[in-house]
Parts: sequence; structure tokens; C-alpha cells
Amino acid sequence: MKEILTIHGLSKSYKNVRAIRNLDLQITEGQAYGILGPNGSGKTTTLSIVTGILRQDGGHFQWFGEEPEASQRKTIGSLIETPHFYPYLNLEKNLRIICDIKGMPYGDIGRVLETAQLAERKKSRFSTLSLGMKQRLGIAAALLGDPRVLVLDEPTNGLDPEGIAEVREIVLQQVQEGKTLILASHILSEVEKICSHVAILKKGELLANGPVKELLAEDEIIEISCDNNDEFRKKLNQSSLVKEIEIENGLLILTLNEKVGPADINSFAFANSLVVNHMLSRKRSLESQFLELVKEE
Amino acid sequence: MRRLLHIEQIKLLNYNPFRIVLGIYVLAFTLGLVIYPAVDKEIPVISLSDLFRFPDVWVFLTWVTEPYNILLGLVVIMITTKEFNNHTFKTQLIFGLSRSELLLQKLLLVMVLALFATLLLGLTSLTLGLIYSYKITFKIALENTWVLGRYLASSIAYMSMALLVALLIKNTALSLLTFLAIRVFVDPVLFLILRKHEVRWYLPMRTTTQLTPLPDLIEIFQRKMNSSEPINESALDILPEGLPAWLNILMVLLYTSLAIGLSYRLMQRRRFT
Repeated sequence: MKEILTIHGLSKSYKNVRAIRNLDLQITEGQAYGILGPNGSGKTTTLSIVTGILRQDGGHFQWFGEEPEASQRKTIGSLIETPHFYPYLNLEKNLRIICDIKGMPYGDIGRVLETAQLAERKKSRFSTLSLGMKQRLGIAAALLGDPRVLVLDEPTNGLDPEGIAEVREIVLQQVQEGKTLILASHILSEVEKICSHVAILKKGELLANGPVKELLAEDEIIEISCDNNDEFRKKLNQSSLVKEIEIENGLLILTLNEKVGPADINSFAFANSLVVNHMLSRKRSLESQFLELVKEE
Repeated sequence: MRRLLHIEQIKLLNYNPFRIVLGIYVLAFTLGLVIYPAVDKEIPVISLSDLFRFPDVWVFLTWVTEPYNILLGLVVIMITTKEFNNHTFKTQLIFGLSRSELLLQKLLLVMVLALFATLLLGLTSLTLGLIYSYKITFKIALENTWVLGRYLASSIAYMSMALLVALLIKNTALSLLTFLAIRVFVDPVLFLILRKHEVRWYLPMRTTTQLTPLPDLIEIFQRKMNSSEPINESALDILPEGLPAWLNILMVLLYTSLAIGLSYRLMQRRRFT
């Protein structure tokens, strides 16, 4: 797999506030890489540095295995926070500016406007667009020249549910076409739906990093109840079957140890003469993983 | 470079405030062709039409239109600060321009506007000279055209200083006020305070203004009277003082380079969020 973006020991501070500390990430070709974190975790700062808007205080990064240069950004489609274009220019002219920057002909403008469902508004001024349309124009601009890599920072920020669905559809289409995607978002379900890999940041530090499937499969959770929950809880605590037991709406929520499955729990209850009347195996969502990781710190 | 100029062209030709200010600038020039002759009342010694003749028309019009450069400075401030207000410097960076190219883009614009202003001045002077001169020879007509070079340098200097102010302050209204305040208040007041010191001639705006000097009215008068007798010493007091021409040009080039150098540093350090 070819290296797309490699980040080593990246650090950035704003006066006395450390935005990112010693961050290491590696993104390879074809990955849909999500960057998750609460507000102020350093997602936008990281993407702003790798797209040339900000300069880092320490560490370094490489695009395509080479030291960063402005010309590399011409092969990357980026949308960092809210898209900013010339408000008095129409969509077509705004995209012509981007084509001139990238040194490409204007022929691709029609295609990207079609993809972003904005072809009918190509003669409208940017200032007359709704927030959702502006966001879609930002994505259209990022798609100009069919870049290998898309860097999107909160692309659905401030959109209504319909707008979110539209943007997600466009992004998913790009991922399915094999583009490498770097997506920062606080909408965890979205990262779950779009991304193959995820990095979780908090206060500028990397908390977890890896394939979404692996992070999801890290712990198996079972919700269970029996005729004597207190007794069952006591017995389970004495066993080596569970990592953690929580109580939620009268149900025991068990986080199982490695290599322990629901059948083992069922057998354990039966062996202790307890009658199980409810048992449900559920995978921990990325959201709960994320919240737990962030809370732990 | 052509690519950067084309980007500026798309941005500016569709930007109404730019079109309005440039329109005012062109109007001020062309109106001169109509208004100056209309106010041409015979005054005891020299009439305006004397100043519209070759070769004095070049120097006179350059001196008269030098303050118009302020308008060009305002144009540069407007378009630069708008890039900050609209966050479009950031957009251009994201899509692949370097910080140096962002500055080069604006410097190319400064050059184009300065060339445009100089061309306009040249055409206006040529037209007036052809209308009002009695005797036209190629040599007389082109005698003082060197002053166009000075006008070009003066325009570039004004706009470079305006660019620096815009990059420093970022806010449109505040930048415009600061630039105007420097030109019409700070510089004259400093000049007055330093009136007893030679250093007053080295002030940035002063050296730029002095680049396009007042025509030598006494020489014109002498020529009109067909006299070659030396002028009374006291009459020479009205001649403008200042630095020698070569030093004046050197100072303007120095200030222009300084403004561009500082703009470069600012552009490299600015946080485009």
C-alpha cells in the first residue's frame, strides 16, 4: 500500500494552549480514515497543518512519501471547515479560480457541479446559496481534477438532516470509487458508516487508532437478566469471565473478557442454578467506545 | 505568472467596488482633458495652456495627477483586505497556491495598475500636448517623457505601501483610514515638526511625492518671455527644495523594497483561518 499521509510527532500551540501534542498518524492509499474527537481535540488544527493553512511548531509530515510542497495540494481535494469563496462571483467563476490555481482546464466544472447537484445554480452568486449548497460547492471544488485524496473537515457541519444525507451520499460515492478519504467529524455514526479506519483524539493527543472493525470488536457486550440479578452479579464478579459489570434499566451489562462468549455466560448461570430470562449480545458502537476513551482521560 | 494574473482578473473585473474606484480614476484623468482648458484663464505670467505644451505637459500632468495614486492605493487595500474578510486567502492556499504566490499575485496586480496609470497619463499628456503646442518636433515632444518612469515608480511605491498596510491591519475600513491618515496627516505633520532638519526629506510619503516634482515655472516663464537673463536670486526661493533626484529615486526604491520585504514576512507568518 502506498503511503498517502505520514505524520510524525506533530505539535502545535496557540499561545499557552497546546492544540496537538506529538501526534503520529499514517494513512495509506484507499483508506477512508476518520479523525474523531470532541471540540478542541485538535482535528481541525491537524488538517489545517497538512493542508498548508497553519505551520506546525514541531514534528513533520509527508504527502505521498515526500516533504510537503504547495504543488502537492493541487492533487488533494480539501474542504476545511466552512467553504470560503468569493461571494460576488457565481459558482462557475469561483470554480474557474480553483481550476486556474490547480492549473487545469475548465472542462471538469460541469462534472463536479453535477456530482454536487448544483449544475442548475452555476450562474448563481455564492452569496445567494444556502448553507447546504455552500457545503456542496466546497465538496465540488475539492473534487475538481479528480484528486487521489479527499481531506474533509466536518463536511456536514450545520446542515439539516437532508443536507447531511446528501453530503454523505457524495462522500460515500467517492470512497466507493477508491479515493483515499481523510474525514474529521464529530458525528460518530457518520464516521462509522463511511470510514474503514479511525483515530480518536483528545486534547491534541492520539487516544486510539486503527481499523473501525477492530475497534468495534475490541469488547463484546452482553445485556442479561435472571431471576436473581444481585446473586448473579456477585458470582460473575468472582469469576474471570467479565471485565466489567454495569446496571442499566434493571439489566446487567457485561463487558466480556477475551475469548468469552454469550454461551459461556449462559452455561455459568445454569451451573449456578440461575434462570436467565433475558440475554442480548450487542456490539459496542464506536460512539460508546469514543465516549469511554474520552472520559477515561 | 499568467495564471496568477488570470485569477486576479476573474476576481477584480467582477468586483463592483473595484470597477467603481477605477472608473473614478479614469474619469478624473479624462475630465482633465475637458476641465483644464475650460478653466484656462489668462493669468499675468503663465496660463494653463502654457503648461499643456510640449515638453512641459509631461512634467505638469505628472505633478497634477500624482495625488490620484492614492486612489490606486485604496484599490489595493480594498482587494487585499477583502481576501481576509472572505477567508479566500485560506481557500487559495488549500487548493495549492503557496504563500509567496499569494503575495506575488498582489504584486503583479500592483504592477498592472501602475502600468495602466502610467499609460493613461502618457496618453492624456500626449493628447493635451498635441492640442496646445504651437511647434511640434519629435525631439521637443519627447523631451520630458523620462518623468513617466518616475510616475511608474511613484505608483508602485504608493501601492506597495498600501499593500503592506492592508496585510498588517487586515480590516478594510481601518486600513483605508490608516493609509489616508499617513498620506494626508501623519506625513505633513511630521514634515512640519522636522522642518529644521534635513531628515524631513527622507520621509517615505514625502520622497514618493517628490518623485514627481512641480514643473520649473520660472524656466517656463523665461522661455515665454524669450529672455535668457539670469533670474533674481530671491525668485528662486519658490523652487521646490528636496533631495537630489538620484537620491530621491534611491530612497523610493528602498522604501518600496522594504514594503515588499515586510509584506513577504507578514504573508509567511499570517494565520489564514
